[in-house]
Amino acid sequence: MKVVLTTKPRKNPRIPVEAELLIPESFLDPSGAEELTVWEGNRERGLSDLFDIHVEGGAEKAEEVQLVVRGDTGTLKRVGERMTGGRILIEGDIGMHCGNLMKGGTIEIAGNADAWLGREMLGGEIRCRGNANHYLASGYRGEKFGMKGGVVEVFGNAGDYTAEYLSGGKVIVHGNAGDLPGIEMAAGTLVIMGDCRRACGNMTGGEVYIHGTVHQMLPTFRKVGEKVMGEPPAPYSIFTGDIANRGKGTIFIRNYQYLL
Amino acid sequence: MIYHDVLCPFCACLCDDIVVEVEDGRIVKVDNACDLGTHKFMSDEKLRSPMRRERGVWREVGMEEAISRTVEILLDADRPLLYGWSSTHVEAQGLGIRIAEVIGGVIDSTTSICHGPSILAIQEVGHPGSTLGQIKNRADLVVYWGCNPIEAHPRHLSRYTTYADGFFLNKAFRERKLIVADTRRTQSARIADEFLLVKHDADYAILGAIRAIVRGQTDMIPPSVGGVPKQQLLRVAEMCKKAKYGVFFFGMGLTQTAGKYKNVRNAIELVIELNRHTKFTLTPMRGHFNVYGFNEVCTWMTGYPYAVDYSRGLAFYNPGETTAVDILARGECDACLVVASDPAAHMPKKAVAHLSTIPVVQIDPQINLTSAFCELLIPVATTGIDAEGSAYRMDGVPLRMKAVLKNVHPTDTDVLGEIYRRIRGAKGCG
Repeated sequence: MKVVLTTKPRKNPRIPVEAELLIPESFLDPSGAEELTVWEGNRERGLSDLFDIHVEGGAEKAEEVQLVVRGDTGTLKRVGERMTGGRILIEGDIGMHCGNLMKGGTIEIAGNADAWLGREMLGGEIRCRGNANHYLASGYRGEKFGMKGGVVEVFGNAGDYTAEYLSGGKVIVHGNAGDLPGIEMAAGTLVIMGDCRRACGNMTGGEVYIHGTVHQMLPTFRKVGEKVMGEPPAPYSIFTGDIANRGKGTIFIRNYQYLL
Repeated sequence: MIYHDVLCPFCACLCDDIVVEVEDGRIVKVDNACDLGTHKFMSDEKLRSPMRRERGVWREVGMEEAISRTVEILLDADRPLLYGWSSTHVEAQGLGIRIAEVIGGVIDSTTSICHGPSILAIQEVGHPGSTLGQIKNRADLVVYWGCNPIEAHPRHLSRYTTYADGFFLNKAFRERKLIVADTRRTQSARIADEFLLVKHDADYAILGAIRAIVRGQTDMIPPSVGGVPKQQLLRVAEMCKKAKYGVFFFGMGLTQTAGKYKNVRNAIELVIELNRHTKFTLTPMRGHFNVYGFNEVCTWMTGYPYAVDYSRGLAFYNPGETTAVDILARGECDACLVVASDPAAHMPKKAVAHLSTIPVVQIDPQINLTSAFCELLIPVATTGIDAEGSAYRMDGVPLRMKAVLKNVHPTDTDVLGEIYRRIRGAKGCG
């Protein structure tokens, strides 16, 4: 089953649209799509008020649904929230909280993702071809756990607080990450192919691989060894910490510099 | 007529020993207040009546027209923002939250551009706090990190810390040690026993390093951290551990520099670590006299301390998404009610630029930068001068503000109460 949603022009396109019902499960009942609603600011709108809906075929399980979202999608929030299976393809940018708490399935984003992509994710896969904003694969305010499972891969750069409170699963950033990636992380794996700043503050567990340079390296990590790894092979420093927090996390770093 | 023990409606020290002399309905003399407070008491530049701006021309209008137009603007909006609230009393703040709920708006206070990050940190690791009275009478070590009380909270040192007498201290002034950390040598730094000259954005690393040192882990610390020599860090950690009662005050230097709430979290966790050795507490140096009050009111009414989005009828909270600066900078909101604050003077250019393109109603005793592009200005009485009401001090102690003048203008509660009543009527809530 393929569902294609194309955004219609809106009077005020900058007002965000909360669309947590845009998940494969919502389209299993073919007549159900007409009754779905989204919120534009404080007004509840029918799905067809904001989108042209095109449905091909049918499906019995979420896994058989492919949901394609195209048009002016940068202000759509919470797409793919709590999805359990199937595939969502976003042809442009996507708004905040995409793939919140998702359990399974795949989200493909062709453009950039706004903040909180894959927040508190439990399983499944997210691939973002552009950049991701702050709080990629992180937790929610005041919660003790962030992402617990699944894979998030960003081909561009990521913003600040990437993988905050990471508690499981794998996060891969092919570009640079911003300030404080892996902060408070407890488990799981974070891979940053480029540079970042002040990595892993307060981490208690998990593994982090940084293939570029860590600027303003935090002084509370103890160097415990070196290892030759990567392609082409290069020497990496191995750190453990965060000592300030009695942490037992491990970071493999290609280059680092302190702010003395 | 002389009024004693008046509360000062300027900063969150909320000094309650001000003496105000009134003659012919004007304040002629103010004693005990600092320059900032005195200036607020003495200034009497107010609008006589509401003003409305249409096609660039201002005209005076009646209160009836002002309120009915405000109601119209708020009801029309798809994403209204209600911002400000820190310089009014809690009763008015409560009405603001009720209005936000009925119209499905976003309500945020100036907290989000000052100590909002402190609250985020407190939500993660708690608040080892105490009242200022405890600090005054017991603290023998005072830390001011990223704040400059001599210039921003001028009576803080004389009422609560360095220069105040303490019941459990013999010679308080000599016994109390003072540590100041800042990126430049401020007035407060000059009187410090130990001054940490911190490089920009280095607070997180330095606080982490002190935490590690307090735990006895010193080997991996480089010879200096963020401009502070390791020797000094060792000295400071020792001073903190040896104190009988230490207190950590912090300001924008910690909350609004890179890392924001993670800086504050590191400070809180340092205080937690120090409590394994001695008694240590932490208090944010809140700015406006009732900014803490908004957090209290908002928490008991909505469950969240600020930045609450009611657009779907339920309270949703996510600073960064539902905070005023972000909503304005992204150009989301289509109408704004500004109460008791001046966003144009404090917010980034992008946010202010958007604010100037939407209908804005300002309810404020004074004219300020924001007034210039408002559609409506509604003058009100000033809390603590000609309006009564409750306010919360920076340590969370609620105090009743007195009125020393008879008010000519309606209070915030009068105006907001009427707006709320009409909105409820229009929405059919009775």
